[in-house]
Amino acid sequence: MNPTNRTAAALPAPRYGRRLKWAQRRAAAAFLAPAFIFLAFVVVFPLGQAFVTSLYRIRGLRSSFVGFDNYVRTVTDEAFWSSLGTSLVFTASCVAAHLAIGLGLALLLNRVTVARTLFRIAFLMPWIIAPAIGATIFLWMLEPQFGVINYLLQSVGAISEPIAWLGRPWSALVSVILVDVWRGVPFMMLLMLAGLQTIPIELYEAARIDGATPLQQFRYITLPNLAYLMIVGTTLDIINTIRHFDIIAVMTGGGPVSATEVLPVLLYNTAFRANRLGEAATIGILLLGIVLAFSIVYIRAMRLDRDGGRD
Amino acid sequence: MIKSLKRAASLGSMAAILAAAPALAEPVTIEWQNINLTESQYEPVWKHMVADFEAAYPDIKIKPVLVARKDHWTKFVTAAQAGEAPCVVTTDIAPAAYNGYIQSLDALWNAEPEEFRNGWSEDIMRGVRFDGEVYGLPTYGGIYAEIYNRDLVEAAGLDASNPPETFAEYKTWAEALSGDDHWATAILGGPTDTTTRVLLSWIYANGGEPFDEDMTESRFAKDPKSLEAIKAYLGMEAAKLAAPGATTTNYLEQTNLFAQQKIATMRNAFWGIAKVVGDNPDLEGKLFVAMPPHGEGAAPATVARQGSVAISANCEHPEEAWEFIKFDAQAKYAIERALKANFMPLRNDLADAPEVAGDEMLSKFLTIGQSAIAYPPSHPYWEDISSGDIVEAVQAALLDPERTEEIFTALDEKLTEKLNDI
Amino acid sequence: MTRSTLLTRTAFWLTLAVALVVFLFPIYWMVNTSLKPSEEIFLSPPTFYSVNWTFDAYFDVLANRPLFRYLINSFIVATGTTIVAVSLSALTAYGFTRFKIRFATAFIVFLIFTKMLPETLLIIPYFQLMSKLGLINTYLSLILAYSSFALPFAAWILIGFFRSIPTELDEAAMIDGASRLDIFLKVVLPLARPGLVAVAMFTFLLAWNAYVFALVLTTDADMFVISVGVANLVGEYQVEWNELMAAALVGAAPVLVIFSILNRHLVEAITAGALKG
Repeated sequence: MNPTNRTAAALPAPRYGRRLKWAQRRAAAAFLAPAFIFLAFVVVFPLGQAFVTSLYRIRGLRSSFVGFDNYVRTVTDEAFWSSLGTSLVFTASCVAAHLAIGLGLALLLNRVTVARTLFRIAFLMPWIIAPAIGATIFLWMLEPQFGVINYLLQSVGAISEPIAWLGRPWSALVSVILVDVWRGVPFMMLLMLAGLQTIPIELYEAARIDGATPLQQFRYITLPNLAYLMIVGTTLDIINTIRHFDIIAVMTGGGPVSATEVLPVLLYNTAFRANRLGEAATIGILLLGIVLAFSIVYIRAMRLDRDGGRD
Repeated sequence: MIKSLKRAASLGSMAAILAAAPALAEPVTIEWQNINLTESQYEPVWKHMVADFEAAYPDIKIKPVLVARKDHWTKFVTAAQAGEAPCVVTTDIAPAAYNGYIQSLDALWNAEPEEFRNGWSEDIMRGVRFDGEVYGLPTYGGIYAEIYNRDLVEAAGLDASNPPETFAEYKTWAEALSGDDHWATAILGGPTDTTTRVLLSWIYANGGEPFDEDMTESRFAKDPKSLEAIKAYLGMEAAKLAAPGATTTNYLEQTNLFAQQKIATMRNAFWGIAKVVGDNPDLEGKLFVAMPPHGEGAAPATVARQGSVAISANCEHPEEAWEFIKFDAQAKYAIERALKANFMPLRNDLADAPEVAGDEMLSKFLTIGQSAIAYPPSHPYWEDISSGDIVEAVQAALLDPERTEEIFTALDEKLTEKLNDI
Repeated sequence: MTRSTLLTRTAFWLTLAVALVVFLFPIYWMVNTSLKPSEEIFLSPPTFYSVNWTFDAYFDVLANRPLFRYLINSFIVATGTTIVAVSLSALTAYGFTRFKIRFATAFIVFLIFTKMLPETLLIIPYFQLMSKLGLINTYLSLILAYSSFALPFAAWILIGFFRSIPTELDEAAMIDGASRLDIFLKVVLPLARPGLVAVAMFTFLLAWNAYVFALVLTTDADMFVISVGVANLVGEYQVEWNELMAAALVGAAPVLVIFSILNRHLVEAITAGALKG
């Protein structure tokens, strides 16, 4: 992984003349085409269909073209904006917690010298279990009367009577956020752990000789070296979290009183409860626009736009 | 692009042919998506019925489509949108018919002999009509009664042979039945339409009319009888007569509380009894059922949930599907369903059947059912209204009881607009 | 050992232990619940270890549901997805790192674009596409769906990974007369093995756990994957918690095993791939 090795770039085109350049292009196309065609087929086609759907008023099998009517309806609907707000709160809290706790755990695990693999697998487990299953087990643990969480909190005296965690707007939102934190931390931890292992030990040794405190070492060595991975990881995580559906669908279905109705849940409820497929598609397209904005940050962070995929 | 699509399509159909290799001149296959197929009590009953049917009709094969209850409609809509819906499906008639997902069975129904058609009362058939045409066949019902735990009732010093008849008496009972870690009952406020069913049973029992005759106006708050019932019912949580956490309570939570004797009474259907006894066999023989209490000066009333089966619009073999539906609707399977899986029969010729009459609990439910109002009301948006808007209002009122009237007034406004936006 | 290092060490292990307990408690609770006899599920206070522990729930659920059939289906779908996604992403990564691509940015945007589509938006169009192709109730429909979700992330990791493999190796092989495909297969792929393994693991996991598409794209009970099989155990009235947890654990076991065996590759691959070399 010596960086100087990578500067050679693609095989030199000019030296081989035009014919080879053409051949070169064809070879490139041959390598890239399969994925491109595949994605165009299985993503662009359904996405195009979803966009077309968003331009129609759809009642089951009957539909009529309404232009951007659904968009007007959606952006003037209070439910959309409150759902967007919920989405932002949910995403921001989850991602911040994933990063902070993930980094903390990575720092801890990086210092473990015994049974490293065992520890790593243990912490990865919440991420390996399917989110819907994880949410189901939490649903059971949070059960007000028979759940183990209320029992534990009551036995240590933290609460005096059972709490219906998913029954009140704020505690329901906090609950689904905590479950998503549980699920999402391991992946961030994995990224951070990988990042930590690339920081040369010599840097820390030198810092120690210079008398830097552990906090200073963290601030001036660890953080800067992890910055790139943190940005990439966070952006990926934002994209994944803002479109996350499973946990909330299983635990609250968006309630109570819409307190946990993030955009993907609103989309689902609009499509399959209200049977308004056109409006649902509109919400999806708008959500896509929001996520797209984040992806631009992501691309910038990866700097892939600048070096065109090679160094 | 189009070319590549076509090519891919032909590739795809090749794959499909390969996938369905042993497809020799086969009998007609009817797909059957029923909301209850995964429920364990029902499983032996329907498997046995399907085997009987296939033996009687060797040219027709039944393919059950199993799906988790909460995903039933999603799966059906997705398939219906692509014209691939299973032929036979259990569904509420109005939303499915309005959306064009199921076909009119008028011709098939009218071609049947009168004695067959007389199996269902006109009242019950109203639930399967849309725009005047028959779109389905009623299969089973859920009559909502008040189910009590005799031990808890007697422990509270109440007379089990004389259950409360009015709201006021019920409240007296509820106070006696509630304590620090147990309650008289549970209010349903969770995110499914069972919340709405129970709410309506209280409103009807107070003589309230939450909707006008032709479903164009919502009157939850506007009708004083309705509002009074809502307040009496939902107010029980604040009064600590109902288990806390009502906003997350649906059947599952309610029956768990009842089976574990945390609550002494529940508003539920015949089916609920099988569930709580299954959870806690000690309750066997300790339950009793009564007509839900009614408001002062109002006639006793409750709701009867009606389950119907229909034929999807894209079904290519409606005659065969109809044969299957009729077969399943026969009295003997309706009785088996009732006795083994606790599905309430909807045929009006069954109440006198010896197996039914001999089952005390079952016949009690049927008696209560005589003063039941059919559910769901026939409206294309009912699913959205019942598990969306009304649930949200119930939750808001539970969280802020002071504002109950305000919340339901806002609901009326919203629903009236929605009901007319067709 | 000085007192302060002893203190630091104690604090370190204590923090780790607390974190471990918090993160693993739900999984412990799954196992605990799955081993309880039915009568004990609702005991209050709940039992943290059942003296009457039993495998009954496992036997019951295996007797009532063809879980092994579901596992085999899941295995076929997840393996197929892994093959498709890994091959396509490896080709893409090679193309990206070995050629000067004019529309590189556009392509990357496209890749990322496909990653962030909300699944719920795609259910109906996707079903329509698959039904037009006659692929409903086939493994292929699920493999195609999941590959499309897995591919962008897989390509992202592999692009980083391939970039760390020196292009001089390609040049040397080319001078020896090797074709592009030879170089790709015989030079680059073997060197990229850790990255490929990691990508395969991510993809396998994604396909194994996915639910919504399997729900709508399969109606034949013989074609159900494990996630659908487990979801079907949740009734409106009835949840046999011990059976549900038993089924969920049976469903998670294969991926847990795979990750336990291969987990070191994950860190390796991200180290190599996600950092810019």
